[in-house]
Amino acid sequence: MSETDFERRLSAAIREEMPPLRAPEELRQRVRAAINNAATPKRWAWEGRPFPTRWLALAASLALVALGATAGWQVAARRAAGGALADEVLASHVRSLMPGHLTDVLSSDQHTVKPWFNGKVDFSPPVSDFAANGYPLIGGRLDYVAGRPIAALVYGRRKHLINVLLWPAAGSSAVRMETRQGYHMLHWTAAGYTYWVVSDLGVAELQELTQLVRSAGS
Amino acid sequence: MESSELERFEAMVLPHLDAAYTLARYLTGNTQDAQDIVQDASLRALKYFGGFRGTEPAAGRAWLLAIVRNTVRTWRERRHFESADTTFDEEQHSEGIAADDPAVKLDRKETRARLREALAQLPDEFREVIVLRDVQELSYKEISEVIGAPEGTVMSRLHRARQRLQRMLARGDRAGERVI
Repeated sequence: MSETDFERRLSAAIREEMPPLRAPEELRQRVRAAINNAATPKRWAWEGRPFPTRWLALAASLALVALGATAGWQVAARRAAGGALADEVLASHVRSLMPGHLTDVLSSDQHTVKPWFNGKVDFSPPVSDFAANGYPLIGGRLDYVAGRPIAALVYGRRKHLINVLLWPAAGSSAVRMETRQGYHMLHWTAAGYTYWVVSDLGVAELQELTQLVRSAGS
Repeated sequence: MESSELERFEAMVLPHLDAAYTLARYLTGNTQDAQDIVQDASLRALKYFGGFRGTEPAAGRAWLLAIVRNTVRTWRERRHFESADTTFDEEQHSEGIAADDPAVKLDRKETRARLREALAQLPDEFREVIVLRDVQELSYKEISEVIGAPEGTVMSRLHRARQRLQRMLARGDRAGERVI
């Protein structure tokens, strides 16, 4: 049944009158809370409690990681440097959280995500799954940042999403941090790529993922 | 539920909360009810997720939307909610074929107001296919999964829904000032 011209115009008018909606943040939180409550304990129950031992263990291990890495990372809140780029990266992250924008290829399999970029960007991005470390690969997508098509890899961490944006670049630089509107961004250049890691997660976890990406990429 | 299963649920189903909310909102006409329904539907989805075998992200969407649709229906029954047309019947609502009607100026402000009114008055069975197709841009196959009816039914119901809207708009245009 082919659509008439009128039907096409009608469809467009309907979509304008009844646009696709975004679920209110309150609803997202309610659903997540309800799901956490409904899920069986074991791995998930501890997340809701204030300070169970696992948190302490995690905090301790992260503190060690942070301590050991301070020299290499030189994490400092530098707003000035790379300011416009940071804004672009943040825009990419926020856009990715809008309906239907997160992933173009949804797969936790790095061997599916990596080849997906073939022919879409003019480089072959290193893709790793860090599920074993608590950062499962969710998928990838194309984006446009810094005046060029780039690869975005999406990782999960508990209920949070992390975007890892990367594109080819020469040279190397230490890890730096930018903060915008409550989002932390860690970025560096190494092994032929510039990386930006962005999320609403705390700095410690972003550093942990950063460390994983850096070890995998070298 | 195993944590890996929970992660699969979060990856396959939770990304479609917006679609779920959009459908619930346009079927109920009310933001608060829509939120309650989506929350309820998400929990039902979690409960029945073990039986869901889809792997494609789009399959998660159709699956969740089907649960939202059923939740809306249950919720209506529970509240004795009178939908716009509770005695829907395929035959009764079959309409004669309306020709393409260029006289209906869809960009006129008055026509848009009537379109809103006409959409609000559509029987649920028509409005849901309009929302799924025109607003959420699902394929006929996906819609057929959501509403549990064959694709042929989806197509004919969609066609009649549009005819009905068209007639309501055309009637209004002719009753008001002449627009041709």
